[in-house]
Amino acid sequence: MSKTKTPAVVSGRTPWNRFAYNNNTVGYAFAAPFIIGFLAFTIIPMLTSLYYSFTDYNMINKSNWVGFSNYINLFKDERFLKSVGVTLQYVALSVPIKLAFALFIAFLLTRPSKLVSVYRSLYYLPSLIGGSVAVALVWKELFSRKGLININLAKLGLPTVNWLGSMTAAKWPIILMTAWQFGSSMLIFAAGLKEIPTSYYEAAKIDGANGWQIFWKITMPCLSPVIMFNLIMQLISSFMVFTQAFVITTGGPNDATMYYALYVYKQGIQMRFMGYASAMSWVMLLIMSAITAIVFKTSKHWVFNESES
Amino acid sequence: MKKKQLFAAVLSVAMMLGLVACGGNGTSTSSASDSASVSSASSTSVSASASSASTEEKKEPVTLRMAWWGSQTRHDRTVAVIELYEKLNPHVTIEYEPMDFEGYFNKLNTLVASNDVWDIFQMGSNFPTFQSKIYLLNDFIKDGTIDVSGTTDAFLRIAADAQGNQVGLCSGVNTYGIAYDPEIFKQAGVAEPTENWTWDDYKKICLDIHSKLGIYGSSKFDDWQAGGSSGISQEGFEYGFYNSDNTGLGFTDYKMLANYMQMRADLVDAGAYPDPGACNEISDIEQDFIVSGEAAMTWVASNQFVALTNAAGRELKLINPPRKTANGPSGITIQSSQMLCVSNDSKHPDEAAKFIAFFQSSIDANKILLAERGIPTFTAVREALADNLTDVEKKVYEYVDLVGSFDTGGKPYNPASPECGEAVKEQYKYYLEKVIYKEMTADEAAKAVYDYAASQF
Repeated sequence: MSKTKTPAVVSGRTPWNRFAYNNNTVGYAFAAPFIIGFLAFTIIPMLTSLYYSFTDYNMINKSNWVGFSNYINLFKDERFLKSVGVTLQYVALSVPIKLAFALFIAFLLTRPSKLVSVYRSLYYLPSLIGGSVAVALVWKELFSRKGLININLAKLGLPTVNWLGSMTAAKWPIILMTAWQFGSSMLIFAAGLKEIPTSYYEAAKIDGANGWQIFWKITMPCLSPVIMFNLIMQLISSFMVFTQAFVITTGGPNDATMYYALYVYKQGIQMRFMGYASAMSWVMLLIMSAITAIVFKTSKHWVFNESES
Repeated sequence: MKKKQLFAAVLSVAMMLGLVACGGNGTSTSSASDSASVSSASSTSVSASASSASTEEKKEPVTLRMAWWGSQTRHDRTVAVIELYEKLNPHVTIEYEPMDFEGYFNKLNTLVASNDVWDIFQMGSNFPTFQSKIYLLNDFIKDGTIDVSGTTDAFLRIAADAQGNQVGLCSGVNTYGIAYDPEIFKQAGVAEPTENWTWDDYKKICLDIHSKLGIYGSSKFDDWQAGGSSGISQEGFEYGFYNSDNTGLGFTDYKMLANYMQMRADLVDAGAYPDPGACNEISDIEQDFIVSGEAAMTWVASNQFVALTNAAGRELKLINPPRKTANGPSGITIQSSQMLCVSNDSKHPDEAAKFIAFFQSSIDANKILLAERGIPTFTAVREALADNLTDVEKKVYEYVDLVGSFDTGGKPYNPASPECGEAVKEQYKYYLEKVIYKEMTADEAAKAVYDYAASQF
């Protein structure tokens, strides 16, 4: 297609040579590993799950076409509706806490200090290991009835909390574990903060603005595109919360932490209603797309865009 | 320059493919002769090259995959038996995957979907769900690959389907029971349970122990077994949760489920039974609250009693679960604790069957296993083990004999549970938690469980 761009390399003796040394061929050859992986592990499974969502597939018997009945049953399933509720609650609580914490630490780390890069690596560490089952198991121990958290609460003379047995308290260990993995958001915030020209701050100081005013009038507007990016990324990953809830609470007590992905797993793998679980996954995709679209739509009201102002 | 780069890229891809192809054949030194001998063992040229690979015998190397669920004790002993078998049969290599119960079935479900089930796998009463994946042992028994002369028809039948097909070989028989700590009972001044105790007695004991000692009266029960499955059987010999051929429910009055649910909620309320969060801290028998002395009783399968006592490190006793009425049915029966099956996906079903036969009937193997999966069904094995029973193991044998002496109303034992069993069990637990957290009354929950189970047929 763009043969004319590479006359020097194309020897042009045989059609094979012309094909093999074409820029596009080389490009596709090097992109092939990704393309194959994308097809095999993303596109094909997605299309298969779309097909299964219209069947009663249970992994053992032959599946039958059932039309939209999986989708209709979903909205009659009280357990499903409750899991949507607790997932939305989890997202609404964990994303702001995580982003606020990431921004706060990023802000502290903008101070000129020789140790900044050391601190940054240290604070990033939880993000590297935080998704693992091992850390989730440690977390489960920490918050158990006689775990470290309750031992220390008792030592301080405070009442202990039945973290994993109470329907209202059980979400907090999971939310805190999510917030603890603030590292990647923090790095992005730190980069964003560096981009803000110091002249803005100098001008504000000369005009007599205090720190609080500088933060709300200069830092926040200038950082809003980065906040938007972080918000979208964290929204999506929060909707998919699985490992923490699976290991720490297994969805309990009484479904207080039965998050969406966990319920999909329970229906699909444990109870073997794979068709139903596939339908659930597609509904999740729709919900996530809708929420992301809303964030994008409203963004022009709160995201500062230099080219427009 | 470009030419060289492309060439290098193509070469490296080719090399990687080559490596992957070699890796698939495992550890053998001559992978070419391996794959050839599998595909056509009869041709002479191949057997010549194969004999150079294997040492004395002219047997082609076989790799079998095996998986089971269980505690650490079971893992260690099973691995030891596998190693023994590999020593006796150098041409066989067994790759094993020890797992916990839930992980095992989740993995099995996915392997079923991908037609890649382990050659040898452990199975419980839910085998009808997986029957399409089970290689029946009928022919192996007929042709003598599996020698069943050392066991009885009754023991073979507990690992067979309704048509009498041999789906597996039983690893041992067990039954359910309650393990309790007599020392705690004494401290609390509560009389030890007898075989005719009722659920009302159980509730009172739990509350008494809790109020006197501040610990849980009872640790985590298998709620489905206690309240659902055997709970219905306790109503009368004519009842069962499912009917005898698994085509529907075996009872009509949903209220039969309500009492247990109400009692469980009351006990959690009183603090005499761990709440769902605390129950979640127990992931295997070694972490049970009776081990740490935080509870006086717990639910066990009889074959787990030895591991439980070892973990606790003090004397525990075993009694049958409480009954609904003092003279009513016990609701429990002697059953196959689990069996080993050969998979339909296996390339070497005969080798897998040979291993299973060894595992269940070899005295040497069972001296390692020590009845951890239940009391062995081969007479010679049972007799060989009987000589060196420890006191704890004797208690298990006595208990199984006691349950065997209970009146079963002449009802034949049904070793299978229906395909919807897993989903019904899950729904039962779901509604039970709703009762515990007071979102439903026990009566509503019982009706919901009944309606759900009935809708599955």
